[in-house]
Amino acid sequence: MMIASMQGVVKRYGSQLVLDYIDLDIQEGEIIGLLGPNGAGKTTLIQTLTGITAFERGKVELFGQTENPFSNQNKEKIGLVTQEITVFEELTAKENLQFFAGVYGLKGEEKKKRVAEALEFVGLADKGGKMPTKFSGGMKRRLNIACALTHRPKLLIMDEPTVGIDPQSRNYILEAVKKLRDSGTTILYTTHYMEEVQSIATRVVIMDQGQIIKEGTVNELIQTVQHEEKVKMDVTDPESVPIHSLEKIAGVKKVIVSGSQITVISAVHSGNLDRIISIVKEYAGVLGIQADKPNLEDVFLTLTGKHLRDKGGE
Amino acid sequence: MRVLSTVKFTALRMLRSYIVLLLLLVVPIILLTVFSFILSGAVPESGVPYINETSMTQVLVFQLFGGSIVMSLIYNDLFTENKIRMYALPFNQTMYAFSIMMCGALFSTLLGALLMVYSQFVLGVMWQNWLWMIYIISLMAVLSIIVCLIFTFSVKNFKIAERLSEVYGIGFVVLAGLFFPMPENGFFDFLGSYGNPLTLSMGAIRDMGESNIGDAWFQANILLGAIIILFVVMLILGRRKIG
Ligand SMILES: Nc1ncnc2c1ncn2[C@@H]1O[C@H](COP(=O)(O)OP(=O)(O)OP(=O)(O)O)[C@@H](O)[C@H]1O
Ligand SMILES: [Mg+2]
Repeated sequence: MMIASMQGVVKRYGSQLVLDYIDLDIQEGEIIGLLGPNGAGKTTLIQTLTGITAFERGKVELFGQTENPFSNQNKEKIGLVTQEITVFEELTAKENLQFFAGVYGLKGEEKKKRVAEALEFVGLADKGGKMPTKFSGGMKRRLNIACALTHRPKLLIMDEPTVGIDPQSRNYILEAVKKLRDSGTTILYTTHYMEEVQSIATRVVIMDQGQIIKEGTVNELIQTVQHEEKVKMDVTDPESVPIHSLEKIAGVKKVIVSGSQITVISAVHSGNLDRIISIVKEYAGVLGIQADKPNLEDVFLTLTGKHLRDKGGE
Repeated sequence: MRVLSTVKFTALRMLRSYIVLLLLLVVPIILLTVFSFILSGAVPESGVPYINETSMTQVLVFQLFGGSIVMSLIYNDLFTENKIRMYALPFNQTMYAFSIMMCGALFSTLLGALLMVYSQFVLGVMWQNWLWMIYIISLMAVLSIIVCLIFTFSVKNFKIAERLSEVYGIGFVVLAGLFFPMPENGFFDFLGSYGNPLTLSMGAIRDMGESNIGDAWFQANILLGAIIILFVVMLILGRRKIG
């Protein structure tokens, strides 16, 4: 089921084109990693997708509705974790969550339960009575996330939820996102950290200068930039594997045996991994497989000529 | 009405704005106490102790500054980075702004009433007509809120809007001639009488106390009229900024 979609969306700030004909579909259950350097337009994309900012051309569809996509009924199904920390400083963590839970229509016992759940979820269960001004940066970030969770959104949009925090909080957040994914939440996640995207995203969308310049699974993207595929296998009995039959597989360039390890190097897009493994398995036991690949950072660099993060930033 | 669920938290935020409480409650209490010592028991020919008039003036003067809390909450929630979250919420942002205004008006009126309670039960001031006094206080509270919001909506820089709201407060105190006498000409006469919310409200209360009911209502109604006109101005300016 389609959760959200943008078609030909154009947005300008003054004369600057910030969204340049954006097309994006988000299917139920997807975790989309939206990657892009500073100023690419990620936050603006999120703001147009949620109806916070007007756009000049194109269409946005939310939960199957194009006529009035930004109705309160639809907004109730969305949770937005803002890039900046937007919690009330004069309210305790718990009161902050109660505020948002109330606006999303939760009441009484149910509200109480969800608030406690959200605090627990971000690891602030024992800090509910504290003011966010007393929190560390990471704790504020976690509260900022919790504020978008009490109503159990169908679509969760997280705009750089891990920026500027300690690795521990970061891991906590990533684990939390995985839990949400497992419970069926559709997630749009923007970040500068490609390791995060690599570990959670089912699909990656790369933006630069207001355009989506590439999208696909992590593997698909990586394959577009790599020049060869390398498969390393630990096998029980390398001597008995007929090297020449591996070499005959389409795309294979080279087979190297060293110790208990067989390395097969193929041309890009050979799609021969299954063939290779099945041949090896006929003659020996496979103990481990490792595909040595370039990472998303390389993809990004190749596509944009830029690094994901400003040097020294964040 | 999802906005209703936020009222409790708006009230909490107001009660926890300690600087506002300090300026609008603690400072006037201290001033009133000091005045009551200075004026201790002084009674002019009219028979009404000086402290009565002073207390009434104090209570009303501080109402001129009552809009600051509403202005800062609305600015914080709907004009800074926080607005992104507020606009993503499934409620009517304009209604939310109104709810903050209502809370603020109640809050200011409550602070005014607390000052009245303090001056009556601690300093011995006798308020003749509590209801009338509270009605006038609430008019002053609403007026101050509307004026502050007009500044917030019409000036780009919030710091400047805040300064302007202070100018509104201090300006009308000065124009009322409370610090030093104003020059005598048509312009200053007007701004020291019917053109000044502070003198209007003081006049309304004085006249009610002297049973000049017609005059009292007349002055209160000028305040009400100003509120209605400025409210419309505020709506027009605010429409471009909220919603
Ligand atoms: N309110 C605004 N007024 C004018 N220009 C804006 C506004 N918001 C964003 N921009 C511009 O639009 C461009 C895209 O900004 P956006 O915040 O969407 O980028 P981003 O990809 O989220 O960047 P970052 O990684 O730094 O958060 C930037 O060049 C920015 O300067
Ligand atoms: Mg951004």
